[in-house]
Amino acid sequence: MPAAAKPKAKPPARGASKKGAARKRAAPAASLAGALAEAAWAEADLALAEALAYLDEAQGAGDQAAYADVLELVAQSLSRAARKRGLARLGKLGAREAYDANLHDLNGAGSRPPKTVRVEARGVARGGDVLVKTRVGRLGAPKRP
Amino acid sequence: MTDWTLCIDFGTAYSKAAAAPADAWSRFEPSMVRPLMLSGHHHHGNPFLLDSAVFVDEGRVLFGRAAIARADALGDKKRMALKSFKTLLSVSDLDRALNTNAPLSIDPHRIFQMRDLIVLYLAFLLEAVEQACAADTLVAGATRMSRRYAAPAWRSGDSAGMHQVIVQLFGEAEAFRALVGKKLMSPDGLPLSTISSALPKALANARAMDIGLIFEATAAAAYTSVGLEDAGSHLIVVDMGAGTTDIAALARVGARTIELPEARVTMKQAGDFIDRIIANLVIENASWARSKDDQSELWNVLMRQMRDIKESVFADGRATLRHRGKNITLSMRDIERDADFKAFYKNLSEAFAHGLMVVRGDAVLRGQTEVQAIAVGGGAAAPFIQGLLKKKTTRATPRVVARPATPDWAHAREFQGNLAPVFPQLAISIGGALAPDDMLAARGGVSPVAAVRTDIEAAPD
Repeated sequence: MPAAAKPKAKPPARGASKKGAARKRAAPAASLAGALAEAAWAEADLALAEALAYLDEAQGAGDQAAYADVLELVAQSLSRAARKRGLARLGKLGAREAYDANLHDLNGAGSRPPKTVRVEARGVARGGDVLVKTRVGRLGAPKRP
Repeated sequence: MTDWTLCIDFGTAYSKAAAAPADAWSRFEPSMVRPLMLSGHHHHGNPFLLDSAVFVDEGRVLFGRAAIARADALGDKKRMALKSFKTLLSVSDLDRALNTNAPLSIDPHRIFQMRDLIVLYLAFLLEAVEQACAADTLVAGATRMSRRYAAPAWRSGDSAGMHQVIVQLFGEAEAFRALVGKKLMSPDGLPLSTISSALPKALANARAMDIGLIFEATAAAAYTSVGLEDAGSHLIVVDMGAGTTDIAALARVGARTIELPEARVTMKQAGDFIDRIIANLVIENASWARSKDDQSELWNVLMRQMRDIKESVFADGRATLRHRGKNITLSMRDIERDADFKAFYKNLSEAFAHGLMVVRGDAVLRGQTEVQAIAVGGGAAAPFIQGLLKKKTTRATPRVVARPATPDWAHAREFQGNLAPVFPQLAISIGGALAPDDMLAARGGVSPVAAVRTDIEAAPD
């Protein structure tokens, strides 16, 4: 049986070819990054959904102990969602670090930046990008609740 | 770029595949690393993971996610999907294992041997790879694609012999795929009538496959070292999977990478063993779960959530589980105090120390000053594994440098922060695609020969 003749391709509209080529080049990287994000989100979604459900439970908790119990689960689910999205904590709570304005957000006022600070709330990074700076306080300053 | 390399990693739970330009090792560009969307046809879940499962249903055979779902739905009828092919493929008497009839819980019709089901799954996997390659605009442009698969170093040591059997299976699967084509990806699976007609033909006319073998440890070495100026020549790999913990050492000699077999240790305790320790600890401490039924229920809950529990314990030092409105908390310290864990850790430390001694000795002989250490597999993030890698050695040289489980290049801007979180799952397939031919443990294929079927009876279910 002879092969069927190939249908003629429709000529592209004027001005469309360059844009089309650019899109074609840009598409692979973007679509792969999107699919990778989808893969990470598939698991992070579940952890976030759990956190929301526990949050409701925490808000309706009858006493302090029950509230603390559920809050622990909220924190655990949020931490898991963050890990699935590649977020990592920076520093260690209560640790002393050399002050770095690029990494630290200094609590409290003062005319001169301190040399050493104490970590009051950990920062968050993804790869080399700092998304939230580590909140730090001056040594000797009263600890925040 | 027209020459590409593809690596298939058929893991215990999921299969993965990745492609990279054939010259990626010498001209590395992170953006050209292409994990393949083997489950791109599904609208939910991780598109890069293809469930390693086959389910023999009433009148058809289902694959992947559909197989798992159907097996779950029929769980109360003692029906099971065939999973963990990788475990089967690493047994010492592979021919016998392949020619065994599938157990009744897997094949109620008593028509399939294990070999048949593995060939069917591999055909499904090859079709998923084909479609994923076609959907990736960079990979689709490849004019030549060389293929390899990743596997642990065979316990029997007969890598070449095992490789020939696996290549034969791939050849049969390719022949079956050629006969059935896209129907393999149907969510409804394949009718038994189609399989009965096509499978014997495929087994009798296996295609000659040109597919190489790369050891998983070597793939880990490849993704760890690629693009690094200071990649080093010697590497020790700790691979803690579900069923085994393997320690392997590699040395680069000229362009080739060789395994140092005297360093190899395989331990039967691994992820599943840690799971049981955790479950037993939780049940021991759950004073309200004293009846057999309560304990059995709690065991099932724990096993369903074990991955998350372990992840939290490893990352945060503790995990909390909610069951029947009660919180149960377990810490890494609780695990470290367990007698079984202590015995396992002692053995692991000794095995690692032995591997390290071998690889450092080889490094000294070759005039090298550094050994790199890396952990791969599901247990890579465990603090006790990371602790081993970073443990100070008594002698200063060659120094041991612990490499991160996720290499720095996985954080490249091109991936917009999205590769690193899923990298551990895809790592072996990516490393296998990046590795140059010199790193392969076996190459090429075989002339197809018809499979020998001996109809060995299945063991009782």
